[in-house]
Amino acid sequence: MKLITAIIKPFKLEDVKSGLEAFGLSGLTVSEASGFGRQGGHTEVYRGAEYTVDLIPKVRIEVLVDDDVVDAVVDVIVASAQTGKIGDGKVWVVPVETVVRVRTGERGSQAL
Amino acid sequence: MTAVDLFNERVRLLTAPDWQAGESARAQLTAATDRWVSALAEFAQFPPEGVALVAVGGYGRGDLAPGSDLDLLLLHAPGHDVSALADAMWYPIWDSGTRLDHSVRTVAQARRLAATDLRVMLGLLDARTVVGDDSLTLALRSSALSDWRSLARDRLPQLKEASEQRAKQFGDLAHLLEPDLKDSSGGIRDVVVLRAVAASWVADIPHGLLAAPHEHLLNVRDALHRSEGRGASDRLTLQDQPVVAQLMGMADADELSRGVSSAARAVHYAGEVTWNRVDRVIRLARATGSISSKSTARRLEGSRASGRTPLAEGVVVQDGEVVLSRDADPRTDPVLVLRAAAAAAQAALSLAPHAVQRLANESAPMPTPWPLEARDNLVSLLGAGRNALPVWEALDQVNVWGTLIPEWEVLRSAPQRNALHTYTVDRHLVEAAIEASLLARQVRRPDLLIIGALLHDVGKARGGDHTEIGIEIVQQLAPRMGFDEADSAVLVDMVRHHLLLPDVATRRDLDDPQTIAFVADHVADAQTLELLATLTRADSLATGPAAWSDWKGQLIDTLVQRVRANFGGQPAIAEPTFSNEELAWAGDAHDVDVVLEQRDTATRLVISTPDSVGLMSKTAGVLSLQRLAVRAASTRTSGDRVLAVWTVQPAFGDLPPIERVREDLRRALDGSLDVEKALAQRDSEQRKVSAAPPTVQVVSGASERSTVLEVRAHDAPGLLYRVTAAITAQQVDIGQALVSTLGSEVVDVFYLRSATGEPLGENHAKAVQEAVLRALTG
Repeated sequence: MKLITAIIKPFKLEDVKSGLEAFGLSGLTVSEASGFGRQGGHTEVYRGAEYTVDLIPKVRIEVLVDDDVVDAVVDVIVASAQTGKIGDGKVWVVPVETVVRVRTGERGSQAL
Repeated sequence: MTAVDLFNERVRLLTAPDWQAGESARAQLTAATDRWVSALAEFAQFPPEGVALVAVGGYGRGDLAPGSDLDLLLLHAPGHDVSALADAMWYPIWDSGTRLDHSVRTVAQARRLAATDLRVMLGLLDARTVVGDDSLTLALRSSALSDWRSLARDRLPQLKEASEQRAKQFGDLAHLLEPDLKDSSGGIRDVVVLRAVAASWVADIPHGLLAAPHEHLLNVRDALHRSEGRGASDRLTLQDQPVVAQLMGMADADELSRGVSSAARAVHYAGEVTWNRVDRVIRLARATGSISSKSTARRLEGSRASGRTPLAEGVVVQDGEVVLSRDADPRTDPVLVLRAAAAAAQAALSLAPHAVQRLANESAPMPTPWPLEARDNLVSLLGAGRNALPVWEALDQVNVWGTLIPEWEVLRSAPQRNALHTYTVDRHLVEAAIEASLLARQVRRPDLLIIGALLHDVGKARGGDHTEIGIEIVQQLAPRMGFDEADSAVLVDMVRHHLLLPDVATRRDLDDPQTIAFVADHVADAQTLELLATLTRADSLATGPAAWSDWKGQLIDTLVQRVRANFGGQPAIAEPTFSNEELAWAGDAHDVDVVLEQRDTATRLVISTPDSVGLMSKTAGVLSLQRLAVRAASTRTSGDRVLAVWTVQPAFGDLPPIERVREDLRRALDGSLDVEKALAQRDSEQRKVSAAPPTVQVVSGASERSTVLEVRAHDAPGLLYRVTAAITAQQVDIGQALVSTLGSEVVDVFYLRSATGEPLGENHAKAVQEAVLRALTG
């Protein structure tokens, strides 16, 4: 099993969610995040009003999946979160030892 | 029958399919439990004398719910060794899996413990013998009761504090979507507490008001425990509600929620009434050294005549409560109910129960459209922030709001099946209005902000799209409440777009100019944008902890900033306007001339005077001395004369004679009346709560010839005098002014010039700004 974490632009959440639903994933965890990468920490000028952007609001998505679908799920996330502009975010994958469903006590793939 | 048979009988009772919630079901369960425990006692060879098995707490009262702990006390005379007996009693109960709360004590030990632990004390008040020596239980009960009564003066305030603490922790049963039936405020434990208050003889409780709601809450809890099985909790989660509703024989979860809410409201209100009585008795007892309630009550009667402080027309404070004055008559004064509510909230006091009843039963129907004073008082009430809540609730108990605003009725206790929401619809709206009042300084129209917040979800609980329905309702309602066409349109827009900013901010690309253009197209102007931005925040804060975060705030701020830039900045500053007749009259007048005008329900003083230093502050001071509250004012200097139109309202009774105003003004201007001294000598100012701190801003770019200063503050007597006197003291001339009081919120704009007639320099403007802020806060 793997844990896929993605940091994306907030307004792309709906697209990613529907992409994952279409793929057949039934659950994900979403949290509010902020930070900066190559894009961050600059001064923006918008129609004459200047202001500093320190930490940019992002959304963090976490999904637990079986090993055999990892690449496909990552592709879905990347495809639906992409705008092609700077600050689109990142996706990473880490291995997971086991998963337990609290309500039933099921373990491993059963609990996904 | 053996103990095992009797235990099984109890289990059958708990799982019987034809179970019906009610007192008889609880009585059956208590009786079955008694029979089982008695059989265990018989088996343990329980002695007839010197020892008693006592049921305390809920078991003692016979309020046993299917999942309740058995609260048992093994009471014994000194010198009896009961450890073997205790083992013989407790082990079988533990082994059966029944939850047990047990203790072993002598009467003296129990009393000692109760002296330091309120929960133990409350439990003992309901002590009841199950098996054994009844004389021991009687001794315990009577000594506990007499201890409770003799120490009531110290213990009741502790009990009140503990209840308030619990209310904070568990929230309001009436307004939470997933409340705790026992521990939330207005829940079962509150009834137990109120009964203990009654047992103390310090104050009686409204028994008639409590019985049915208490019974209902117990029934719902029984049903909840049955639906959950063992390990039952008292929290009625959204998931439990459909099952519990079915067990109660109700149509759906909404019927269940509404029933729980209205029962809880009644309990909560009974609590307010009772604690109020307790506070008064204890306050008086501390002063006189006696707490016998009969004599105290007589003394309270005696003190009625004295100690009445007027608060507003027809409204006085007496014994720390707001009551109606003797000559006040709701039958001829339909605004009285809102005036009393606003005055109570602004003074951080509660409305006396008999005043609430009278206002509910006797109030004349509100004229349509509402008079300005009614609207103003509604804004004032909600503008009091958190202090508005108890007053709102007291009046809601008797459905004042449903009478004033029939569209409100269906919202009362209406549940929302939504994980983000904490509160019922009506409470969410009141919370939103209160949150809005705390943010009132962020907008130029606090009145529209507060009323818009109160109405933004008014279309809920009716099926269909709540925004669409809300728009239709407010299109009718706003003009009925007396808002003019323009303000009504803004209120409708606030309902229409109350979800626009959060939706766009979190779901659309804010870097895309089309997103910004989209919002700018939908929002009428910079003022509406400002109102929507603040409403969004108030609405989210009133929704629940998950609905607002800095993260969301940052996204919305970014959106608002960009749309505002699109509009070309802040909403425009208004300038005072005068009719040609007024200008002509002012030009012809000489010396000091004052004319009184009645326009609709507003009283206007049109004043023409020669220009002089500090004119505005002197006029404001004279009006304050005459107890005239300034609702609005516009002034303009033309040549060597100043024209001013003041809209005023007498704080009490009728207008003072116009000659007296004219004379005082003349004397203030020629220096024979020292306004400042006279104001200082006047009795102490009314206490008023401030929901949000004042702000004083220099508005750049609003005028080329003057420096524009905008003051936003919570209204207070003499406020305008203090502000204008502070400005004058900085050697600054007030060329024009536009003063508006919107409910309890003040938004004043002053056009300032230096002694040489120039706009102020940066440092001078800053000094004035700081001086005014000091005058407001110091």
